[in-house]
Amino acid sequence: MSDPGLDVVWRACAPQVLGALVRRYGRFDLAEDALQEALVAAARQWPTEGTPDDPKAWLIRVASRRLVDRLRADGARARREERVARRAPANDLSAVGPSDATVDRDDTLGVMLLCCHPSLSRPSQVALTLRAVAGLTTAQIARSFLVPESTMAQRIVRAKVRLEEVADPFAVPPVTEMPARVAAVAHVLYLVFTEGHAATTGGTLTTPSLGTEAIRLARELHRSLPDDGEVSGLLALMLLTDARRCARIDADGSFVPLAEQDRTLWNGDQIAEGIELVDAALPVGPVGPYQLQAAIAAVHDEALTAEATDWTQIEQLYEMLERIAPGPIVTLNRAVAVAEARGPLAALDLIEPLLDDRRLRHTHRLHAVHAHVLELAGRTDDAHSAYLLAARQATSIPEQRHLLAAAKRLEPESSSPP
Amino acid sequence: MKYVILIHANPNPWGHPTGHFTDEGRQLDAFQRLAMDRKFDELMEGMAASGELVVCEALADPGSSTIYRWKGDTHVATEGPYAETKEHLAGFFLVDVESRERAEEIAAAFAHPGDVIELRPAMWAGGPDA
Repeated sequence: MSDPGLDVVWRACAPQVLGALVRRYGRFDLAEDALQEALVAAARQWPTEGTPDDPKAWLIRVASRRLVDRLRADGARARREERVARRAPANDLSAVGPSDATVDRDDTLGVMLLCCHPSLSRPSQVALTLRAVAGLTTAQIARSFLVPESTMAQRIVRAKVRLEEVADPFAVPPVTEMPARVAAVAHVLYLVFTEGHAATTGGTLTTPSLGTEAIRLARELHRSLPDDGEVSGLLALMLLTDARRCARIDADGSFVPLAEQDRTLWNGDQIAEGIELVDAALPVGPVGPYQLQAAIAAVHDEALTAEATDWTQIEQLYEMLERIAPGPIVTLNRAVAVAEARGPLAALDLIEPLLDDRRLRHTHRLHAVHAHVLELAGRTDDAHSAYLLAARQATSIPEQRHLLAAAKRLEPESSSPP
Repeated sequence: MKYVILIHANPNPWGHPTGHFTDEGRQLDAFQRLAMDRKFDELMEGMAASGELVVCEALADPGSSTIYRWKGDTHVATEGPYAETKEHLAGFFLVDVESRERAEEIAAAFAHPGDVIELRPAMWAGGPDA
């Protein structure tokens, strides 16, 4: 992959090529292999022979040839024809005329829904989406998740076999199932985003960063479903969070919390786009968790300094979020806003009941927030112990470093070295 | 999420699977042992196929290890074992799973007679999300 620009072109075609192949030949597993072979051929040929005039048609042609060879070779043709004959044409993406492979239709949504099929586990949905929709190679996906290629290959093969077992997976889901299916796609894209956002590695020339890929795919999803408020909210949340990426980790790799970030490093274009999306989505239809989280991110991003943050508005948004998506983590986040808007004592009232919540017993964040609020309340010794407790439970190295530094700052005088 | 599952055991003589060689494991009858092995094989096959199993190794007798310690301005080597404890590290598994609950489910299934299983989250180089 010598030219990162070309890589973007062929990967953008991936879901549409796959959609065309599945519609024509049925077999998702073989079609996906053929797509990967065509992408490899593109990587080999385009840099020297030039980009074809119609990259998508080129990829469909090459992939079809591989797929037909494969079908002939393993004698799967009879089974395939039987399968095609079984399909109900009325609500089936595969029910189109003979020249469908060249028809310009957008299969991106269909392929996304398929990769996030409810018969697959979340990690499998994530892996398959990155391969079949984002067009990444198994090696690139494995590198992004820091697992051996063989492990990731197993995950993908298993997922494809499972999809083959599900009768007619490419059928359009019934209208009643559609919201849940789209929600699954949104969740998978969100997981890809948080994985990419959390990682410090990746984003190299050979492995596109997962954060960038998640935003690209969320844009695709938004293009397919422009009126879905939660999809708009998801894209907005990603843009508004990713806008702060450069300010989150300092030069020596330490995590920089929101309040201490250099806000001039934030990406103004992404913030503007995110805010526009939230503003358009919020007044229309039912409000969902992604829209509210995006609205909260927008309030943070709009503040020129940490002190200028409108915490009262953030508290109200968390209250709404708690009503539609209750959970101890949301309560904990609300407590942070309450501490800033109304003072640490009101926040401690919210946090203390959570200390016994079994669901949070392995979450360092509970103690990190507790420590912060105790510090605001002037209870330095308790804050010191809570920071140490949080550091012990943290599994992120930069965050643990940050929590240990916070504890050290509050160390009782007597135990400091002379 | 990555977790390490550590198998601590005291097989005598040292051998794998450790559950066959511990005092407790020896007391199982052949039928119980067969059922235990089959269940474990199923778990392993499932984890390999799902892509949850990243890597695993069974370790040789702790007496075969070499221990390095810093002394003065250089390191010195001694022959193992590392510690004079009853149980020794007998093997490890690195798994990449969806949730802590899934990791706990897997780790619990590793606890065979005489084994002590330790589940530890792996740390990672990334930061938090917000």
